[in-house]
Amino acid sequence: MTDARVEAAVDDGRVRIVVSGEIDLQNAGDVEGQLTEAISNQARTVSIDLGEVAYLDSAGLRVLFHLVERLATLQIAVELVTPLRSPSRRVIELSGLAALVPLDPPA
Amino acid sequence: MSASAASKGRAAVDRLRDIETVTHAGLAHLGVEELLVELLDRVRNVLDADTAAVLLLDAPNEQLVATAARGIEEEVYQGSRVPLGRGFAGRIAATRRPATIEDIADADVVNPVLRVNGVRSLLGVPLLAGGELLGVLHVGTIALRRFDDDDADLLQMVADRIALAVTAAQSDTERKASALLQRSLLPQRLPQVPGLDAAVRYIAGGGGTVGGDWYDLFTLPSGRVCIAVGDVVGRGVRAAAVMGRVRSAVRAQALGNQGDPAVVLDLVDRQLRHFDPGEMATAVVALVEPSFDRVHLSSAGHPAPLLVDGDGAAHYVDLTPDPPLGVKGRARRRSVTCELPPGAVVCFYTDGLVERRGQLLDDRLELLREAVTAAPAEDVCSTVMGRLIGLERPTDDVALLVVRRADSRTEPLEVTRPAVPASLSEIRAAVRRWLVDIGAAPEDVTDVLLAVGESTSNVVEHAYGPAGGTVGVRVELEFPDVVVTVRDTGQWRSPRGSNRGRGTAIMESASDVVAVGRGAQGTEVVIRRRLAVAGRSA
Repeated sequence: MTDARVEAAVDDGRVRIVVSGEIDLQNAGDVEGQLTEAISNQARTVSIDLGEVAYLDSAGLRVLFHLVERLATLQIAVELVTPLRSPSRRVIELSGLAALVPLDPPA
Repeated sequence: MSASAASKGRAAVDRLRDIETVTHAGLAHLGVEELLVELLDRVRNVLDADTAAVLLLDAPNEQLVATAARGIEEEVYQGSRVPLGRGFAGRIAATRRPATIEDIADADVVNPVLRVNGVRSLLGVPLLAGGELLGVLHVGTIALRRFDDDDADLLQMVADRIALAVTAAQSDTERKASALLQRSLLPQRLPQVPGLDAAVRYIAGGGGTVGGDWYDLFTLPSGRVCIAVGDVVGRGVRAAAVMGRVRSAVRAQALGNQGDPAVVLDLVDRQLRHFDPGEMATAVVALVEPSFDRVHLSSAGHPAPLLVDGDGAAHYVDLTPDPPLGVKGRARRRSVTCELPPGAVVCFYTDGLVERRGQLLDDRLELLREAVTAAPAEDVCSTVMGRLIGLERPTDDVALLVVRRADSRTEPLEVTRPAVPASLSEIRAAVRRWLVDIGAAPEDVTDVLLAVGESTSNVVEHAYGPAGGTVGVRVELEFPDVVVTVRDTGQWRSPRGSNRGRGTAIMESASDVVAVGRGAQGTEVVIRRRLAVAGRSA
C-alpha cells in the first residue's frame, strides 16, 4: 500500500503544506484531494514542501500540474520546496514542471 | 421331551436367530447412520416394539441428543434433548443400567414426543464403550407391555453393537475433521516475498489425530515481514481450532503493533487467556524490518530459531523464552534483534523436529545446527528433514520453516504481482532493497525506481481489460549496468489520459536505454541503466 501524509498550516493567507511518504498511481487521487482541501479561496500564497517525499512519479506529477494550473486561475501564488538531489526534485526537473512554478531552492 | 421344554427350546432357537439378526456381519459395510437405522428396524422387529431410538451424549452440555429413531422419527427431526439424570433416558445414562417403564402414565418422561404418540411402555439400556457412556438406546410399545430380562439382554447386545460403530465413526470423523481443519488453517503456500526465499515442511504426526503445530509468513503494510511458528498443546479438533485462533490473533496483532514481537505475543497471550482460558500454546514471532537488514524475535516458551549469518556457521539465536501463551506470567516479554545480512538464513521449527524418544535433546539440537547452512531455503529444508527425520515416521507434528534473505550481489530479483495499483509500492520496495544491497548510489536508486515505477504503472493502467492480469519485474546486475525487465501478458495499448507521454518521457530520462518489445504474448520493456560507480557522468 502506498502511504503519503499531507500536513497543512495556515498563517494569515499563507498556506504551508508538508507532504511526506510516497505518491504513485494508487494514492495520487487521495493526495490531490488532501492538497485541494488544505487550500481555501482566502489563500494568497501556497508553499508545498516535497522534501520528505521518498517517491514521486508521473501520477503525482499530474496532481501537481493540475494544482499549479488551478492555482494560477485562482490567482494564488505557489512554490514547491524540493531540495536539490531529492527524489521529488529529480522528477520535477525531468518533467518540465519547473518551467511553470518556482522551486525552492531555485534551479 | 415335555411340551414346555420343547417350547423353551424353540424360544432359545428364536433368541439365537434374533441375536444373529442384530449382530450380522453383513451390517459391517454400512455407514454409521445407515447402520443405526438398520439396527433400530431390526431390534424393533425382534422385540416387537413400535419405536426405537438412539440418544447420544453431548458431554459438554450434559445432555442426551436424539440421533436416530424409527417409529417416531420426529424425535430426531426436532433434535429432542434430555438432561442427564432426568427422565427415563437421563436416568439410564446417569446410572448406566437398563431400565423399564411399564406405563408411561405413572412415570417421569421428559420427552413429550413419546407421550404425544401414545407410547405406553419403554425399555432402555446404556450405550457403553470401554466403560465410557456414549448414550442411550430405548424401545417403546403403544400397547402396555412388561419387558423382561431377556428383552433387556437382547437390547443390550444391540446397544453394544451400536456403541462400537459410533466409537469408530466418531474417532474417524474426529481424525478427518481435525486433519481437514488443520490443513485449512495453514497457509496453502507461502506468499512470494521478493528478496526473501522461504520454504516449509509440515508433517502431521503419527498416532491418528493431528496436533496443533502451525506456521505463518505474511507481509505487513509497513513493508515488514512477520514470520511465526507455534504449537498448541493438545491434539485433535480442539487443538486445531485453537491453533487457528492463535494464528489469526498473531496476524491481527502484528498488523496493529508492527514494531515489537514481544508486544504482539503479549496481546495474543491476553487474548488467549481471556477467550480460551485453560488452553496453552508456544510460539516464536519474528518481525523483519522493511530493509530486511534486521529481524526482531520473541519467544513464548518456544525453542529458539537458528541463524546463519555472514560467517556461514549456524547458531541458535540467544533468545530466552518467556512463558507460553495462556500462562499467566508477571514479567514483560522480551525480544532480541539480530542482523540479517544478505544470504543469511533463519530456521524456525517445532519441538517435534528435535524431540525423539531415546535420544538426548542436546544431541538432536546439535544435529539440527549442523544441518542448517547458508543455502537456498528449499535445500536447507530437505537437508534438515533428511538428517533429523530420515526414514522414521515422526510421532508428533513437525513444522519447519526456513527463510533466507536473498543476496542481490549474486541473485537477480524476480517479482510477479497482480497488475493493480496496490502492487506498485511493494514492487518498488523490493527493487529499492535490491539496489541498496548492491551498493547503488542514491541518484541511481532514484532513477531506476522512477523507470520501474513508470513502466509498472503503465502495465497497471494500460495492459489489461477489467479482468486484469499480472506485472512481472526482473532486476539483474550486468555490471556496470542494472537491467530491469518489466513484462505483462496483455495487449499493447497506447497510453491515454492527461498523463499521456509524461511517464514514458520520465522513464527514458531516468535510464540509458529503453527497449519495448510488443508481441502476441504481451509486452516486455527492458530498461538499462549504467551505475554511477562505473564512472557515469551525471
